Amino acid sequence: MDTSTDDSAIEVSPMTLGQFYQRLFPHRQFYSWLNYKAQSSSMTFTHREFAFTIRDGIYIRYQSFKDCEEFQRELARLIPTRFEIGAVFTAQPKHAKSLQPGVFKPVEKELVFDIDMTDYDEVRTCCQGGSICSKCWKFMAIAMRIVDAALREDFGFEKLLWVYSGRRGVHCWVCDERARQLDDQGRRAISGYLSLIRGGAEQGKKVNLSSRTANHPHVVRSLDIIEDYFEDVVLGEQEILLTRDRWLKVLAALPDEDLRQTLDTQWQKRPDRTSSEKWSDLIDAVDRRAAKQKGKFALTMFERDMMLQYAYPRLDENVTTHMNHLLKSPFCIHPGTGRVCTPIAADDFDSFDPLAVPTLAQLLREVNEATGATKGKEYAETSLGEYVDVFDDFVQTLDPGNEADVAMAGSLDF
Amino acid sequence: MFSQKAIKRGISGDTQATPEVVRHSRYPHRLSVYSDPPELEVSIEEFESFALDRLQVLKAIEDAQIRSSNEADRHTRISSAVDAHLPLHTNRSKLPLRQLMAERRKDHVSHFILRLAFSRTEDLQSWFLRHEGLLLQHRFRDADAQEKQHVLATMHLPLVYLAPGEGMDVRGSYYSKQDALFEVDFEHVLDLVQRMQVVVNKGRALVPQAEIATLLVHEFRRQLSRALAVCAKALPQLGEDERLVPVLQSLSRQSVRSEYQPTGAAGEVTADSVDSLAVHFPLCMRHLHTSLLKDHHLRHGGRMQLGLFLKGIGLGLPEALVYWRRAFSNLTDDQFQKGYAYNIRHNYGQEGRRVNYTPYSCNRIITTNPPGPGDHHGCPFRHFASDRLNAALRQDGLGEAEATEVVELARNGHYQVACTRHMEINLRKRRTEPAEELRVDTVVSPNQWFDLSVGNGKLPESSRFAASAAQPPGMTQ
Repeated sequence: MDTSTDDSAIEVSPMTLGQFYQRLFPHRQFYSWLNYKAQSSSMTFTHREFAFTIRDGIYIRYQSFKDCEEFQRELARLIPTRFEIGAVFTAQPKHAKSLQPGVFKPVEKELVFDIDMTDYDEVRTCCQGGSICSKCWKFMAIAMRIVDAALREDFGFEKLLWVYSGRRGVHCWVCDERARQLDDQGRRAISGYLSLIRGGAEQGKKVNLSSRTANHPHVVRSLDIIEDYFEDVVLGEQEILLTRDRWLKVLAALPDEDLRQTLDTQWQKRPDRTSSEKWSDLIDAVDRRAAKQKGKFALTMFERDMMLQYAYPRLDENVTTHMNHLLKSPFCIHPGTGRVCTPIAADDFDSFDPLAVPTLAQLLREVNEATGATKGKEYAETSLGEYVDVFDDFVQTLDPGNEADVAMAGSLDF
Repeated sequence: MFSQKAIKRGISGDTQATPEVVRHSRYPHRLSVYSDPPELEVSIEEFESFALDRLQVLKAIEDAQIRSSNEADRHTRISSAVDAHLPLHTNRSKLPLRQLMAERRKDHVSHFILRLAFSRTEDLQSWFLRHEGLLLQHRFRDADAQEKQHVLATMHLPLVYLAPGEGMDVRGSYYSKQDALFEVDFEHVLDLVQRMQVVVNKGRALVPQAEIATLLVHEFRRQLSRALAVCAKALPQLGEDERLVPVLQSLSRQSVRSEYQPTGAAGEVTADSVDSLAVHFPLCMRHLHTSLLKDHHLRHGGRMQLGLFLKGIGLGLPEALVYWRRAFSNLTDDQFQKGYAYNIRHNYGQEGRRVNYTPYSCNRIITTNPPGPGDHHGCPFRHFASDRLNAALRQDGLGEAEATEVVELARNGHYQVACTRHMEINLRKRRTEPAEELRVDTVVSPNQWFDLSVGNGKLPESSRFAASAAQPPGMTQ
């Protein structure tokens, strides 16, 4: 199913969007999040850059707001089709243009990750490009589980907000103080640590781990997670070895010309074998060959490397590596699908269904049918409610910004 | 040169440097992380010659990084440069104190002069940081236990020592029981984290003793990087000093050999002529160009790499907009305007920070932003699988033996040498009369390849390997 065209009822217009921002957007929680629950407005909110995309794709950077009320007002006034969140700067971004270059610098931002289904086009067979379905979405569940575990267990981060990007991917906002303080080099290091798939379109085999790296706790844990899915998802549902087109792509990664041809011939005679059966053929053949060649390294590691290549997360590194990179905010409406960018509960990776995420049209219908008893919390009577609850729970886990931060916000406010 | 205490004791420079004597001298330790600037007088001649000698060493290190395939060879190359230009003898060398002190003073002073010279731009800073880090790493490797301990102590690193057998719950199967480990916040060993060469547990990295040099160099770079930023702010105050400023400028200009200034003048190349010039493109750009024609699209990394290259050969902004608009033939005008035109204007300094970007160097293409799935940018010699590279070279008309030779160079990590060899073979084929073996300088920039190819092996008169004061490498304001 192509989510970009499935709901003809959607009309994302300034009018419907305006209603969404006024009646449904969870301003208060949103403000608490970026203000890190400080008593009054702290620098993490007031010196934060927002970028709005308004009618006709006009992109305005360096917006900033002094408090929740101003933010709410501007959202209702400008009605952005989407907006992005950037870094916290040394001064209020709206004054950026009047400052000396060099004075205006980013000082902190959440560590963010972006995983986009288009990067899985070479491994998924059900959809391509902007489309997703419940089959390929499982790659996202695997990705979220692996990245979430690494960030928590290895780096010790605890305040992780996962968000559906509205169409075909997910974002992760790591909000721990220590993560927010990382410089670009630190962000690059974590992003590199989490990237095992390397190589562009011209490399058949994209995972090549040394035997030492294969023992790394992160790799061991990631493989454990992948094993939960590989048979069912990659072989069973994706059928990556079903047709000759597909199996040739897999065989291209095999570092042994001889084996490639043997298997190709074998499968052409029995094309009806399932991907699982062919996978067994492949692994058996590789094992036999590896044993004969006394453990020629590339062959012995083949199965493990290929499982990673087919199911390990593919991160868009550019989003992560720069502190000054903007990322679409949670609770925006995706202009193509009309779906809300909703938070995903950290214990809910497997059951989260992107196709069940409410659309703008649906929400407006629901809110109009509601009793209106919950003034100021109208979302509670719509399907958005459960997602706001997830967000609320997350915001509750944040530490209040310390007093020094709040004081600083005042002194730097020139 | 000697501390007050030492002078009182009547130590003169001719005294043999016994440990006792050295301990009371100005430079009791051989290795330094340059925490304090020198407070002494330096003649203008010394100023320049010290700095030039150190520069020789840093350039030799850069050279060794490009040309050496293995650690041992790299080490030998660097050692010989250090011995020739910036020797530092140990306290046990039995040399006269005068000589020992002179060596250490030169090391100290020259570091700070180059710090001044290389703080001017971000690119110079990063060149300096990289190579000073490597120099320290080289020296640390050869240092004795006492020297190592001293350097580590001066860095004030918050390490926790885990003896063999300790911390079993966090070692996993990655370290053996016998490994001695240091536990430190992961922010101190980002290089190791990035390459997944340490176990990280709850934000603490477990660093094997053998990697302690990495830890040291990382911390050194971090502190030096901060110092360079401070230095850059103070630099304008030097502006008045007519003796120093020209020296400093010429120093940094001589250094960065890897910055090639393309010669194409904007407007010389039109949107129509790009495709016919593709024969002069190096393999990386040829590949991007072919992929662009095939897919009618390129992802961000590819657009940047090819776009800035085309800018470098002389494709002006109006023509660039025409060229890319035509190339992305599957897009509507509206999509192109919203999604891509901004980026192209940005590259030409017409948007955002208004920085006039220069083309990527080979070093940048090879070392940063490796291509991911679906990407076509990067260096084919670095990022293609061997058989794919071989096929690409054969397609370009190389014979089997020639292609194998080039692939072999690439496989051994000599990406730029392999690329250079590719060009030499191409140029030789193009010549009508049999010429003797043609040799060209190592390719450091795709634009240099283009200029060489157009000039049949010669660079045009106007080209220069320089980062002038007005046009620092990487970007020009």
